[in-house]
Amino acid sequence: MRAAPTQEDIRRQNLGALLRHVHVLGPTSRARLTAGMGLNRSTIGALTTELAAAGLIVEEAPRDTSGGGRGRPSLVVRAQSQRVYVYAFTIGVDRLVAARVGLGGVILDRRELQRPGSGFSPKEVAEALGGFVAQMRLSAPHDGVCVGAGVAVCAMVRGSDGTIPEGPTQDWRNEPLGERLSAAIGMVVMVGNDADLGVVAEHTRGAAVGCDDVIYLHGDVCIGGGILSAGRPVAGGDGYAGEVGHMVVNPDGRPCRCGARGCWEAEIGEFALTRGTAKHTIGGLADAAARGDHDAEEGMRRVGDWLGLGVANLVNILNPQMVVFGGTLREVYLATAAQVRSRLNRTSLSVTREHLKLRTAALGDDAPLYGAAELAFARLLDNPLESGLAPAAG
Amino acid sequence: MALSPTPAPPPASNPVLELRGVNKSFGAVHVLRDVDLSVYEGQVTALVGDNGAGKSTLVKCIGGIHTADSGEYFFDGAPVTVHSPRDASDLGVEIVYQDLALCDNLDIVQNMFLGRERRRGWVLDEDSMEQIAEETLAGLSVRTVSSIRQRVSSLSGGQRQTVAIAKAVLWNSKVVVLDEPTAALGVSQTAQVLELVRRLADNGLAVVLISHNMNDVFAVADRIAVLYLGRTAAQVNAGEITHSQIVELITSGQTEAFGPGAGRNGVNR
Repeated sequence: MRAAPTQEDIRRQNLGALLRHVHVLGPTSRARLTAGMGLNRSTIGALTTELAAAGLIVEEAPRDTSGGGRGRPSLVVRAQSQRVYVYAFTIGVDRLVAARVGLGGVILDRRELQRPGSGFSPKEVAEALGGFVAQMRLSAPHDGVCVGAGVAVCAMVRGSDGTIPEGPTQDWRNEPLGERLSAAIGMVVMVGNDADLGVVAEHTRGAAVGCDDVIYLHGDVCIGGGILSAGRPVAGGDGYAGEVGHMVVNPDGRPCRCGARGCWEAEIGEFALTRGTAKHTIGGLADAAARGDHDAEEGMRRVGDWLGLGVANLVNILNPQMVVFGGTLREVYLATAAQVRSRLNRTSLSVTREHLKLRTAALGDDAPLYGAAELAFARLLDNPLESGLAPAAG
Repeated sequence: MALSPTPAPPPASNPVLELRGVNKSFGAVHVLRDVDLSVYEGQVTALVGDNGAGKSTLVKCIGGIHTADSGEYFFDGAPVTVHSPRDASDLGVEIVYQDLALCDNLDIVQNMFLGRERRRGWVLDEDSMEQIAEETLAGLSVRTVSSIRQRVSSLSGGQRQTVAIAKAVLWNSKVVVLDEPTAALGVSQTAQVLELVRRLADNGLAVVLISHNMNDVFAVADRIAVLYLGRTAAQVNAGEITHSQIVELITSGQTEAFGPGAGRNGVNR
């Protein structure tokens, strides 16, 4: 049997909860923290004092005191976004992004490298991201503290150790990405799948705030799915759950990279969409369709129909409250919503879609990047005072 | 402990704005015949119909430019009379017309406060207007405008639409009516405006979207109201109807799925 939590455990948990509150909701008054966390005022006072002494937050008088309310205005607690930060990365098929993200989810610095058509080997990824970190380190404040690093990768990720069994390109085979990146930038890098992290980001500070049953669909060359059920990520035994791109929607359809036929991503991924047309991006195709190009129109209609069919299957199985379209699927959904909705309304069960909302990613293409930052912040938020933080200078 | 910030309010069961049996004639032309329309907070209600179905007239009745000949206008459940645009904006109803009514030679802040400028004593309170304009745009997550002091003449079509919408939202409005906000916009700007429309409703406003583009309607609408020859042919949830059924309703006033004779009261779900 587990021992009852000690006073020390409770204190640590409260510190983490308070810091998470400020991290997620932004500057918050002590009064609101008291109400929101169900702790009494003196406890909140003690916790904020400790966190402020560790240099994680600052307290300041509220700027706007004209808003009414009686008595002395409550101090506002704000995360030290400039000083406490993580490195977050995304590895797409042909795009690398690196960012320095401050506590509170503020992107402070951001670098990007695109290589349309070819993609990157693991070695090139490590070199490029290592280079970006070296550059960004120079612009970080002298008293700044880096508390972690995380990467969102467009590939399946083994949950136990962050190994990538295959993809994004051919030279990725059983790639120990976490180890390689950790060596390249000199600190532990947590690894997650881009859609799995995208759903976390949208749930924390995007379209799905307050919504605990969510499917986030991330479109790129491949289609990934991140699933939250009752607020918890659906990971599967080995961490590979959510490969919705390989849901077979059309058994006689196009061949997929994975060897099967008619996988969802073979019907709605960017390659499938632009194949056989002069357009190379979904934006270009949608634009041509809007201008009346018959082939483009037909292509978009077909893709919308397949998109709706796949969503209908997912909705019947998982009964989400919200489906969020991210990456290239954002544009696809907005340009083909009539087909998507019609197919969904014909195919899914009326009870499973009754409270369903369809939304686009509020964080745009950066949803996985924000998710990678959340992954990197997790250790700090679990245990704010013991994650190797140097105390604030002065 | 629950960490979720204040969740979006559940859709209210009572409409914030409701029209019942509205009639409007211009001379011998009977434009609106017993039109019903319900608009709910937190929802986008799309208003669709063929050219001449009465959409614009209905919107002008909502906005107080026309006064209905007969029929009832309820706001927050209480009967009200709206005889002028001022009456409508006092209730919290703002309308963004297709021409946007922005002044090209003024900057974004000046446009947003046009005719309702804030004063401090004898002079305009530029600081507070600037701050409010900035907060409004930030609240709508608008990142496409680089400076709020740039002239409207330098903005793209999508940015102008954004400014016009922000102007409507500025006045603590409860209902915002958007007339064809994506007409004449390119694909990526249309996407941005649609996301903005959705965000308005997700922030708690009641939004009425008039559009000819079925993709736009299905992309953001929670409910769809169809006008056919001046009558309400149907008011349905977007989760219960298909593209082809909507087209049928627009062109013939009825659809097999909901049985024939979907006339005056139409399908009302």
